[in-house]
Amino acid sequence: MAVDKLMSLKEAVSKYIHDGDTVYYGGFQIMVPMALTHEIIRQKKRNLTTIESSTDVGGLDLLVGAGCVSEIHSAWIMNWYVKAPYAIRRAFQSKQTKRFDVSNFAATSALIAGFLGVPFLPVRGNIGTDMLKLNPTDLKMVKDPFSGEEMTAVRAWRADVAVIHAQVADRLGNVMSWGTRGVTDEFGAMGAKRGVIVTAEEIVEPEITRADPDRTVVPYFKTLAVVHAPWGAHPSACRGYYGLDIRFSQYQGKYERNGELLPKFLDEWVYGCEDHNAYIKKYIQKFGQAGLDRLKPTLGYKPKYQVDYGFHDPAVWKGVPQYTDEYIKA
Amino acid sequence: MHATNYKLTELMVVRCAKEIKDSEVVFAGVGLPLVVVGFAMVTHAPNMILFTEGGSIRATAPPGLAITVDDPALFCNGDASFGMLSTMAALQRGEVDVAFIGGAQIDKFGNINSTGVGDWSKPESFTYFAGSGGANDMATSGKRVLAIMPQDPKKFVEKVDYLTTPGFLDGPGAREKLGMIGGGPSVVVSTMGVYKFDEKTCEMYLAEYYPGQSVEKLKANCSFDLKISPNVKETEPPTEEEISVLRSIDPTGFYLG
Repeated sequence: MAVDKLMSLKEAVSKYIHDGDTVYYGGFQIMVPMALTHEIIRQKKRNLTTIESSTDVGGLDLLVGAGCVSEIHSAWIMNWYVKAPYAIRRAFQSKQTKRFDVSNFAATSALIAGFLGVPFLPVRGNIGTDMLKLNPTDLKMVKDPFSGEEMTAVRAWRADVAVIHAQVADRLGNVMSWGTRGVTDEFGAMGAKRGVIVTAEEIVEPEITRADPDRTVVPYFKTLAVVHAPWGAHPSACRGYYGLDIRFSQYQGKYERNGELLPKFLDEWVYGCEDHNAYIKKYIQKFGQAGLDRLKPTLGYKPKYQVDYGFHDPAVWKGVPQYTDEYIKA
Repeated sequence: MHATNYKLTELMVVRCAKEIKDSEVVFAGVGLPLVVVGFAMVTHAPNMILFTEGGSIRATAPPGLAITVDDPALFCNGDASFGMLSTMAALQRGEVDVAFIGGAQIDKFGNINSTGVGDWSKPESFTYFAGSGGANDMATSGKRVLAIMPQDPKKFVEKVDYLTTPGFLDGPGAREKLGMIGGGPSVVVSTMGVYKFDEKTCEMYLAEYYPGQSVEKLKANCSFDLKISPNVKETEPPTEEEISVLRSIDPTGFYLG
C-alpha cells in the first residue's frame, strides 16, 4: 500500500496546478474534465496556457470567463449547444486572452510531437491559410530534407500538467478509458512534463486495471493525482456512464453569452459548491433527479469476444533436446 | 411521390446526401454532415464508410442520432475506434474520398472561414467562432470536398474574413503549387440551391435552385457576382418517403429545427 495517489479534488488542484502553468485540457466533445475545470476556477488559478485539439460544452469557455486563462492553443472551442464560445470571444476582444489557432490534426500532431519528445512534426494541413500566417508561434514552413518539398511544421506542445476525465482509475494512477479514448488524451497526458491529474467515475483495485492493460491510456508513473468524481464530465458525456446533457449545456450557454450574467452562474454552480458532489446535489435540487436519469445511456454494447492475455512460460523448454533432422546433421 | 410539406433544411439534407456515392469513404464534420451521412447510410449508400474526428470508423449506420463527432452512438458496433489520430492520418495518406464540412463563410473559390469575422489583427473588431476543427485537414487532403451551409449573403461572400480552410485559394493551380494532395471543392449545398465549380476558372457557379426559389433569389442571397450554369435547373423535390426517413433519424428536430 506504498503508493496511493487518491485525493480530493481540492488537494489535487492546489498541489499540482500552479499559476502560469501550461495545462493539457482533456476530452473533446465528450469526456470534458468539468469537475477539474470548476475546481481550477474555485482556486482562482491565473495566467494558465491551455493546449488541446478541440473542446466542447463550454468548459474552456467557463475557465476563460472566470479569468484563469491567458493563452489558448487550439483548433476548435465551442459550446456547440449555443453555437459560440462567448466568454472566449469577449476575452479575445478585450485582449485578456490570446488565441493561437491551428487545425485539429496540427493540434493532434503537436501533442504527438510532445508525446514523442521531438520538437516538431510535419503536417499536410494549414498550408495556404491564415492560421499559418497569423500563428507563427505554432506553425512554420519546413523543407523535407529528403525530397526538398516545402510543408507545414507544427511545434511540439508539452503541458506542465494534464487534466483529464476517465471512466476508471486505480489508486496507483493507472487510468482506463475506452471508446475513443478521449481522442488525444493519451498524447496530451503522456507529453505532460510533471504529470497527470485524473478524475474518474470509478476507482478500482490495481488488479482490475492490470488484468486489462490494453485499456490503460495513462500508466501510473505519469499520474500525479487520482480523484474519484462521479459525473466528473457533466454536462459532457462519459461513455457507458451518461450522455451529453444538452439542456444543461444550453442553460449554461445562456450565462456564457452574457458577460454580466456569467458571474451569477459561477457564483451558484462553482464558487457556491464546495466540490463536484455539491454541484451534482445542486443539479438535483434545481432540475430534479429526472434530469440526471434522462442521461442514462443505452447500455449492452459489450465486447462479445472474451479475450485472454495468456502467456507461455519458456520454462517448459527445460530439458527438451534441440530439434534436429538428417539435413542439419549432415 | 413528392413531398409537399417540408422545410428547406430537410431538402438541403436530402439533396446533399445524393452527393455521396455508395461505398465511398466519407469524413463527416460536426453538425449537419452527421445527419446527412446518417440519412445516406440508411438509404442509397448502405456500404458507405464513415470517418469522424472523434475517431469513429464504421460501415453501418449508428444506432442513434450522433450529436457530436465523438458521440458514443458512433462507437456502438463501430468497426474501429482509434481516436483522431487514425482517421486524420487516413486523410494525410489520401484515403478519404469525401471531405464533408460546414462553415460560417464561403467565397467564390470555395475557401471557407470557420474562425470568425472581422479583422483578426485588431482583436476588438473580431468575433470568434469555433475555429478550424478538422475542416482544414479534411479540405486539404480529402479527394473532393462537399460543403453544406445555409444560404445567406453574409455567408456567401467575395472574400472570407479569415481563411481557415482552403478551397481553390486564389484560383487555378494554387493548391497544386502548395502540394495539397486533395482535389478541392466539388459541390456546395445550401438551403436554396446547389453549386459546383468551373474546371478552368475554379469559380463557383449555380447548378440548381430549389423548388420555390429562383436564380434571382439566389443571386440576391449571395454577396459575390454569382455565375450561373447555362444548364441551371430546378432541384427535384424530396419524396414523402425521404422526408419520413429523415424525420425518423432526427425525431426531436435537433438538426432540422
